[in-house]
Amino acid sequence: MNKEFSVVGKPVIREDGLDKVTGRAKFADDYKFPGMLHAVMLRISSAHAKINSIDFSAIENDESLVSIITADDVPGTKKVGMIKNDQPIFCNEKVVTPGDVLAMIVGESEAKLHELVKKIKVDFTPLPLLTDPKKSLETDAVLIHPVEGSNLIIHHPLRKGNVEKGFAESEFVLEQTYSTQLIEHSYLEPEAVVAIPLETSLGVKVIGSIQNPFTTRRFVSEVLNFPLSKVRIQQAHLGGSFGGKDDIMCILSARAAVAAMKINRPVKIRYTREESILESYKRHPYVLNYKVGYNKSGKIQAMKIDILADGGAYASMSPFVTWRTVVQATGPYEIENVHTDVRAVYTNNPYTGAMRGFGSPQPIFAQESLMDEIAVQLNMTPDEIRKVNGYKSGSITATGQKLQNHEVNLLTVLETAEEDTGFRKKWLENKKDKSQLIEYDFSSPIINESQFISPDSLIKKGIGLAVSFRGCSLGAEGTDAASAYISIQNDGSVYLDCGLAENGQGLRTTYSIIAAEVFGISTDQIIYLELDTGTTPDSGPTVASRATLMGGGAVKATAEILRKRLEELIRSEWNLKSDDEIVFQNNQVLITNHQSPITFKDICKLAYQRGISLATIGWYKSPSVGWDEHVGQGDAYFTYVYGCQVAEVRVNIATGEIYVDKVTAVHDAGKVINMLGALGQVYGGVTQGAGYGIFEEVTTDKGFIRELNFDQYTIPTSKDIGEINPIFVEGKDIYGPWGAKSLGEPTLELTAAAISNAVYNAVGKRFFKLPMNLEEVLLSKKLRPEDLKRGSK
Amino acid sequence: MISSLEILIPKNLNEALSLLVERKNNCRIIAGGTDVVPGLQQGSNRFANSELLIDINRIPEIKSITQTREKISIGGAETFSDMLQNQIVKEELPLLWKACSTIGSVQIRNRATIAGNFVNNAPCADTVPALLVYNATIEVESLSSKKEISIGEFLTGPYKTKLNKDEIVTRINIPIPSKEFRGDFYKLGRRRAVAISRITLAVLTKTQNHMIDEIRIASGAVTPIGIRFSDLEKLAKGKYADDKFLKLLSQKLGEQILNVTGLRWSSEYKLPVVQQMFYQLLKEIEHG
Ligand SMILES: Cc1cc2nc3c(=O)[nH]c(=O)nc-3n(C[C@H](O)[C@H](O)[C@H](O)COP(=O)(O)OP(=O)(O)OC[C@H]3O[C@@H](n4cnc5c(N)ncnc54)[C@H](O)[C@@H]3O)c2cc1C
Repeated sequence: MNKEFSVVGKPVIREDGLDKVTGRAKFADDYKFPGMLHAVMLRISSAHAKINSIDFSAIENDESLVSIITADDVPGTKKVGMIKNDQPIFCNEKVVTPGDVLAMIVGESEAKLHELVKKIKVDFTPLPLLTDPKKSLETDAVLIHPVEGSNLIIHHPLRKGNVEKGFAESEFVLEQTYSTQLIEHSYLEPEAVVAIPLETSLGVKVIGSIQNPFTTRRFVSEVLNFPLSKVRIQQAHLGGSFGGKDDIMCILSARAAVAAMKINRPVKIRYTREESILESYKRHPYVLNYKVGYNKSGKIQAMKIDILADGGAYASMSPFVTWRTVVQATGPYEIENVHTDVRAVYTNNPYTGAMRGFGSPQPIFAQESLMDEIAVQLNMTPDEIRKVNGYKSGSITATGQKLQNHEVNLLTVLETAEEDTGFRKKWLENKKDKSQLIEYDFSSPIINESQFISPDSLIKKGIGLAVSFRGCSLGAEGTDAASAYISIQNDGSVYLDCGLAENGQGLRTTYSIIAAEVFGISTDQIIYLELDTGTTPDSGPTVASRATLMGGGAVKATAEILRKRLEELIRSEWNLKSDDEIVFQNNQVLITNHQSPITFKDICKLAYQRGISLATIGWYKSPSVGWDEHVGQGDAYFTYVYGCQVAEVRVNIATGEIYVDKVTAVHDAGKVINMLGALGQVYGGVTQGAGYGIFEEVTTDKGFIRELNFDQYTIPTSKDIGEINPIFVEGKDIYGPWGAKSLGEPTLELTAAAISNAVYNAVGKRFFKLPMNLEEVLLSKKLRPEDLKRGSK
Repeated sequence: MISSLEILIPKNLNEALSLLVERKNNCRIIAGGTDVVPGLQQGSNRFANSELLIDINRIPEIKSITQTREKISIGGAETFSDMLQNQIVKEELPLLWKACSTIGSVQIRNRATIAGNFVNNAPCADTVPALLVYNATIEVESLSSKKEISIGEFLTGPYKTKLNKDEIVTRINIPIPSKEFRGDFYKLGRRRAVAISRITLAVLTKTQNHMIDEIRIASGAVTPIGIRFSDLEKLAKGKYADDKFLKLLSQKLGEQILNVTGLRWSSEYKLPVVQQMFYQLLKEIEHG
């Protein structure tokens, strides 16, 4: 009985969809408790200062104040961090970036607290500012964290072959510098969390807009000096995260928990958009230097890469973000000689950490721009140069890893995209030999008669592509395992839970599909339980596009344990021969050459009567990977995915506007589990990637952010992106549930690079600095207002 | 953070005007609230001391669009969504209709009103250039008086108008333009919806055999408030609208804007773009 999939790969509506569109779903700020208090943060207007003293006397006796919480109230660790403990819960000694919080005041009325907080007097001494990461490692640079001894957060070297020899043997050598900008996650729901003191022996419970409950639990337990089991984290519905509700939510949860335990009442912290943008971490700006040696045939001989990432005020996830960069920095090209250095440094800028993409969008912009530039120089088309160098089965990566055990579909996704869009023909038709943009001389702001653009040449069309490979899950970053819990009831309905937290991407639906497929039942038979660290097993964080692969693997393994128990029961109950097949399908169980089907419900009832346990926890553990950090060599990830995006644009050469008319996104994510979820990932990822390419930038002035709300921080709207055409190439893999791998981040990482290449095709001019906003396109530079005032000028 | 406020919803104009007199020290009119609410939320000085909001959305006298032989009269509290659905506005006042269609998003247009737009009078208020070229007049009423002045006169500076504390903008009156006028409205923002204008332009022209009989030009966002360019309009009158002259007119617009604003951080971008796009607009109108 060869069985087709019954739910896997079909479009399934998310289990929380109805509750979300009708407003019934409860988000963190919807939780209210009797006696609940609010907390408001104290900050100062400085990016780098030594705190001499804080004078609370003006508010101490105010009746709206219940308590003041400072570093002195923190019973456990006073400094926390994802990797390095360099971030104070409350900054009582110094501030190193404007988002820093010195103390917190607690009371019943948030409005009153906002008035009171202004009356607190802080005496501080400004320290020298360091906002240019290029100066962070200079010998006379001020140290952001003197105890660290240096402003270097991390250095990842990678050495393969001999680049000098490679350059010497190359017919051409090209060197370019690229830069990418600081950007904000822009989750719709700003941070919110409430901490509730439990009965004495039980500790504290935290409910919040939390990306990773288990990481949050670690922070809270360290800060309170509680065992892990006395901290329970419950995840509320999450209004977006994109990697952005990790450390910040851990820290806010810890602050709320400290206050709740001190006062013995529930305490809520919720941020306005301005506070959210001010304090939360962002995506790293990179400066990327690439030197590449190649031959007339297009074959790349050597690549030397030097990358500097601005980690901002705290280390956060910088070591891991930049590690992915060092692994993937060459792009999916087989190159014999590679020499890469990636460094992250401290500055007084807003700190940077995890964001969807996680160290890949930056090098992809650089490396894919570079590939196109080489193609143009050698009179090749963009697809040709990539075919010469691109990974094939058995290729060796820059880290010395042989690509095997999965279909290396780089060229398949490239060819699929090319055919679907008619890429080559369009690219050749649009190709420009010189820049179509007008060079204005700003010393005479009135333009010459000859510079006026005739209406029929105002709009230029272009097409561009970008490809990538991406390591799935955590790789050599750390332990990689996940677990799930399933309990089948005696009427055949099923409880399901997994230690990986829903981040709004729909993983609960994906997991329900996987369990439903294994049991041959419909997804509406499955109730997904709330994630609570008190009852759900730890599965590491929802990051690195690992949820379907790892959590999905765990759900499948768990469901299979229980199905096996049911199969054994059936075999003994009906005395089956060993080659009799049992199929779970359509809420029924079918047995070859045997009586009429039995319902799933009846089998479960029987199991219950026979005293067979139908509840269990199952695991999925990744195969081992390896890494030598001195030379950057090893099997970095156990499997990879491949993607190619083609952007079709029009550029208005009078205004510098880029209209993204169509993006064709071809991804090998392995087996697609929920078609609707997969499409959603592509639509969202492409749109976010386009925002990175042409709109978004958090700019700072002496460390202070100019764009504190969405009136100034422009993310794309549905009107800004034209058609998005997702195509899935389902490559086979031995890992993951039925070979399902990663899609979330691949969809985002390519778009900016594809758009940049399309813009080059349209106007004959290459851009090296993201975002390609109006000024960048027209003037090849960014213009900044002189002050932090809001409004249009 | 907005502290607690009182909100009153008068049912007719008289009630609203009386409230404005009784509570004149701490009250503010709210229509769609799309400028007032963000202003309060940001703690903007302009909205400080507002303790009472007078919601004018349920006042029938200021909520209709009517047409007589010579003019179209739009109630001050008309929302952009209502205006967009109105055939009279669409057919007779296409520049204003287009300006309304570029404002914010559907959600914003469902609330935001026309009077709210120019009473707030941000540099980037999108209806202003269109109202200027249509020679709109503003009807303003208080308990004791009623007056009508031209939009150009009404708007005095960025976020400033001639409106007194006890007055309400009841109607916007626009003479029906002759059918010989052709024109267009242009808006440039950083994206295609929910965008603060970086440049707006409105142009109406009447030509005969390529001779410019009359031209009306207004801009927004590139100048401190939306303004008409009467010098350019005079210069163009009677000129032959050939390519050379259209380019000259565009350069002159650039000069005028530079005169008004001086060099700003954004001029390096905005000045060449406004000249180019004004030229595009003129060419497009010429070709119909
Ligand atoms: C997300 C967003 C996007 C936006 N996009 C745009 C855009 O694209 N283009 C644009 O031009 N604007 C835009 N705006 C600004 C705003 O929507 C408009 O200016 C709108 O027209 C204001 O109208 P309102 O009815 O909401 O005014 P309110 O906020 O209610 O009032 C604004 C001011 O006018 C006064 N007022 C209102 N009605 C009257 C009246 N009848 N008589 C006397 N005084 C009155 C109020 O007291 C207040 O001072 C946007 C705003 C937001 C929040």
